[in-house]
Amino acid sequence: MSSRLELIGPQGLRTDGRRFNELRNMNCKPSVLSQADGSAYIEQGNTKCLAAVYGPREARTKAQVLHNRANINVEISLAPFSMEERKKRSKSDKRILEIASAVKQTFEPIIMTELYARSQIDIYLQILQFDGGTVQICINAATLAIIDAGIPMKDYVCACSAGCIDDEPVLDLNHLEESNTPELTVALLPKNDKITLLQMESRLHIDKFQQVMEMAAKGCKEIHTVLDKAVRENIKDLLKKSSI
Amino acid sequence: MGNVTNENIINLNTAITFEAETFRRIQPEEYLRRYIQQHVRPDGRSFNHFRKTTVNLSCITTADGSSMVRIGNTTVICGIKAEVSEPNVNFPKEGYLVPNVDLSPICSPRFKPGPPSEQAQVLSENLNKLLKNSKVIDLETLCIEEGKAAWVLFADLVCVNYDGNVFDACVIALMSALMNVRLPEAVYEDGIVKATEEKTIILGLIRITYSASFAMFDGQHLLVDPNEMEESITKDGITVVVDETGKLCNIWKTGSSCSSEQLKTCISKARDRYADITSIIEIAKQAIKKIE
Repeated sequence: MSSRLELIGPQGLRTDGRRFNELRNMNCKPSVLSQADGSAYIEQGNTKCLAAVYGPREARTKAQVLHNRANINVEISLAPFSMEERKKRSKSDKRILEIASAVKQTFEPIIMTELYARSQIDIYLQILQFDGGTVQICINAATLAIIDAGIPMKDYVCACSAGCIDDEPVLDLNHLEESNTPELTVALLPKNDKITLLQMESRLHIDKFQQVMEMAAKGCKEIHTVLDKAVRENIKDLLKKSSI
Repeated sequence: MGNVTNENIINLNTAITFEAETFRRIQPEEYLRRYIQQHVRPDGRSFNHFRKTTVNLSCITTADGSSMVRIGNTTVICGIKAEVSEPNVNFPKEGYLVPNVDLSPICSPRFKPGPPSEQAQVLSENLNKLLKNSKVIDLETLCIEEGKAAWVLFADLVCVNYDGNVFDACVIALMSALMNVRLPEAVYEDGIVKATEEKTIILGLIRITYSASFAMFDGQHLLVDPNEMEESITKDGITVVVDETGKLCNIWKTGSSCSSEQLKTCISKARDRYADITSIIEIAKQAIKKIE
């Protein structure tokens, strides 16, 4: 067994055949669930996520009521069959709670919560299949679902990860890559290029930081075009249906 | 349907009239009754009409067997993961098959986050009973080495959209996912289980069972495949499970009484439904063969 996993092949291609600056294949569809106020399904490579938004509705407990704005509640659940290894992850798993809190904090300033005082917006995310990039797919799915629910937002929030393999910045890491390399997750407001979330949990040389960051930001923009297209197509469908 | 126009809400000259949607919210039972009197259901179906059912196999690649089933808007995803464990001391030759249903808050505004609801636990237990009593799978085929190692199949069912009749969807998802399971060849050697990379072994299912659910309205109208609204209004429900020879495997009857005639119609309809589901799953199998 080789001591170090070869993440980049001799032709300069990654383990799943992508180039350095290539996103995984992305599929998304808003309005997939009938019971939710807003919903979306996203596939990024082999990571699959379903999002449902309920609200703005009455808060479940009085303690959650905020007098001047809506309370945002984010819950993430990982399906037991989503990972290679079956692990019953409870909803109170610290790692999942941390991601949920990151998603919540990302959306709090973007959603115009002040319009819905004393109410609650619930964002439920279900990871059906996991292959890296949980934070980014959760944010992207939530963005689509919130738009689908018709809740006013200041802008799209698009998230993308990037990392550094052998001093070379790479975009959109899969599970194999993210467990062996430093990873940076960026959430961006594409209209004014402002960063709303930045996460990095391992060491990365400062000289490389700028490059990796720029690559992730570029990825966010690409994701924005995909999301925007999905939203527009969905609206067109809706118009067609309502005009009949 | 949802357009409420001002002039329609209250007409003072005659009796008070409502828009249909308002009427539905205030008097859901009466609303349904008016439809039933016209021999039609609120979603336009006749009493005997099942909603469109689709099956999608191998949709989760991280699972050893998976299936997604839609009945109308109701959607259930089943993923089966295999693990190795020590067999139960009392049954040293048998493996395990553990079904678990999750009704997460994603599927309906009715469900709250937190520990599994009573309904989810009842569903899991009913599925477990069905698997055990009808002997869907021979647990001895899951044995790797007697008393030492056996396969545990965790069948996790996630409901992502709840629009009534989740039990039927769960049964179809579970059965089709079991058909879809591919296990690696495993050998027990000196306390270690070695498994091949390739997953080739198909589970031998002894009996394949499907269910059909009915809702009874006012004790006389039998509504096939009830949706969420019909399920919540009607108090009586009947679920019939049959196998491929048309033999009865299970009947669950909740609520007030029903006549034996009605039960007979339920059973015969369940048999017809069995044939339909078999052909739907056959189509799904052809679809993945094409991709492979």
